[in-house]
Amino acid sequence: MNKELEHKFVTELENNQNIVHKVCSLYTNDRDSHNDLFQEITIQLWKAYPKFRGDAKFSTWMYRVALNTAITLYRKSKKRVKTQDYESVIFKIKADEYDDTQERQLKLMYNAVKQLGDIDKALVFLYLEDKDYSEIAETLGISEVNARVKMNRIKNKLRTILNP
Amino acid sequence: MDELELLKKDWQKQEQQLPKLSYDQIYKMIWKKSSSIVKWIFYISIMEFAFWIVLAFLPIKSEVRNGDGAKLILFTEWAIQIISLLVILFFIYKFYQNYKKISVTDSSRDLMKKIIKTRKTVMQYVWFNVGLFATSIIVLLVEILIYDPPVELTEKVSSASSGILAWLLIGVFFAVAIAFFGVLFWLFYRVLYGILLKRLNQNYRELKKLEV
Repeated sequence: MNKELEHKFVTELENNQNIVHKVCSLYTNDRDSHNDLFQEITIQLWKAYPKFRGDAKFSTWMYRVALNTAITLYRKSKKRVKTQDYESVIFKIKADEYDDTQERQLKLMYNAVKQLGDIDKALVFLYLEDKDYSEIAETLGISEVNARVKMNRIKNKLRTILNP
Repeated sequence: MDELELLKKDWQKQEQQLPKLSYDQIYKMIWKKSSSIVKWIFYISIMEFAFWIVLAFLPIKSEVRNGDGAKLILFTEWAIQIISLLVILFFIYKFYQNYKKISVTDSSRDLMKKIIKTRKTVMQYVWFNVGLFATSIIVLLVEILIYDPPVELTEKVSSASSGILAWLLIGVFFAVAIAFFGVLFWLFYRVLYGILLKRLNQNYRELKKLEV
């Protein structure tokens, strides 16, 4: 791999790292696992990067790799990432910031989403990222109709979690 | 669903609170080793291939080498070795083909399908070997019992009140022993599989269920 490719990749990822962080905080519950998953996604992105052609947007391509890594490839390991500079990352779950009623509602909702299964989370994540159903369907490998059906079921599930 | 819409509106705002990694931090990460499930599957599969290759070519040879019956046995042993060599080559090729097709940029469903397929090849390989191994053991047993029976055993059987019953008991004993090892083996695989692929299988089933 040549230097130019490395530089291009790292710059792209640096600019779009939010996507990966959002996936990580949705699929993990503590800082170490968050970092661990971020690293694995980065490795997978890098490994797949030579085949990435500019015809899709880098961020669109990232969604797929990041979610696939979180859902399928990642194994929760007990081993901790010990790199010092990486430990210094300021980590906050956004939901902790909410106080008043509406904010409280948001927090509850976010927690409800975190209780969903792997696949459901992926659908909600793409939905929150404002992806349309055709893109959601394509990312997961299901039909568009089924993506809609599934999303409706997830909404019901969330309702049950919120109002038991 | 109002709350979900609420969360969606708020979703982009969270960006200021997300961690931010520097160029150097990310750069260091790309050289780290992956610990993905595909890597694990790859290493475990290689170990399984190696295990059975070693086992297949262990020099277990009997000493009876005369008479017509012995020739037949010799031929059977030979045939088993040739077949197993061919089959091993076939499976390694198939495994490699499947493994190469695994791509993180596929849709989730395809990715899972390909991983499961790769594992299945190795499973088939293992079961083939178990079968072959059992066959070899049986051939070996028949060989020993027919052409070179241990003197003690023959004496005991002939001194027993019913010869057929005694042989039957010996047969049952071996059947139980084989079944016991079979179950042990199966359990081992259940555990290995369970640890490695439980989540993947669950997720795959969930996606597949949607398409029915």
